[in-house]
Amino acid sequence: MSETSSDEARRLAEGARDRANFEEEALALADQVYRVARGVSRSKEEAEDLMQETYARAFRSWESFTPGTNLRAWLLRILTNLNIDRGRKAQRSPDLQPLEEGDYFLYNRIEATGETDEDRVLERLSQDHIAEALSAVPHDFRDVLVLVDIGDFSYADAAQILDIPIGTVMSRLHRGRRILKKELADMAVEAQ
Amino acid sequence: MTAIDKCDWCEEVLQPFLDRDLTDAEQKEAEGHLKDCEYCSTRYRFEEKLRRRVVLVMVEPMAPALKQRLSQLRLEL
Repeated sequence: MSETSSDEARRLAEGARDRANFEEEALALADQVYRVARGVSRSKEEAEDLMQETYARAFRSWESFTPGTNLRAWLLRILTNLNIDRGRKAQRSPDLQPLEEGDYFLYNRIEATGETDEDRVLERLSQDHIAEALSAVPHDFRDVLVLVDIGDFSYADAAQILDIPIGTVMSRLHRGRRILKKELADMAVEAQ
Repeated sequence: MTAIDKCDWCEEVLQPFLDRDLTDAEQKEAEGHLKDCEYCSTRYRFEEKLRRRVVLVMVEPMAPALKQRLSQLRLEL
């Protein structure tokens, strides 16, 4: 074998090994990525489709990942971008977006019905209820809410994933939580 | 500041309080109000429980079949 072709063979072998390592590391993060996929999807089926699209794209474009940087954030950036493309088609038009209420709104609504056992009210809020309420939160707010409150990401990680300033993460998170509680209010009252 | 104004303020700082994002002085002020105000402390406790409930119902393991499908998406070597 000439020196050039053995260099070429070594390079190919190294490339294959790097790619296999990348794929292993990405798959090891799948549970964490799924938490976010489930949070931004209306159903499990939708979350599973989103996971498959995310991983297919990640495996295809693995060479654009810079080794040593945050792979979890890189995967979630792919996921949130794919989900934005989907969300734009399904999102309510702006004039129908829910208005925000204060942070005590949900509790006040429950109290007004005469219900005194708040634990029972919370236990009645099922995964379907919460997924439905989350899907009504505009996606800019929902992405931050899901990353921080369900995915357990720091503000800094969420800012990196969504490519927005930390201050924007905080304001979207606060507004998103208020919108979520407003959406949950009707369900909490109706489920009684 | 009247008692009602204080509850309005307390509602405004509920999220940064639970996120530990207030200044020390604000945190102390909120704790002082919560100690004396059942209206606000009930609502703060509820918020904590709601956050826990959201995580509890939304976080679930991925189906093993999905894990396998993701693995199959790996490129052919």
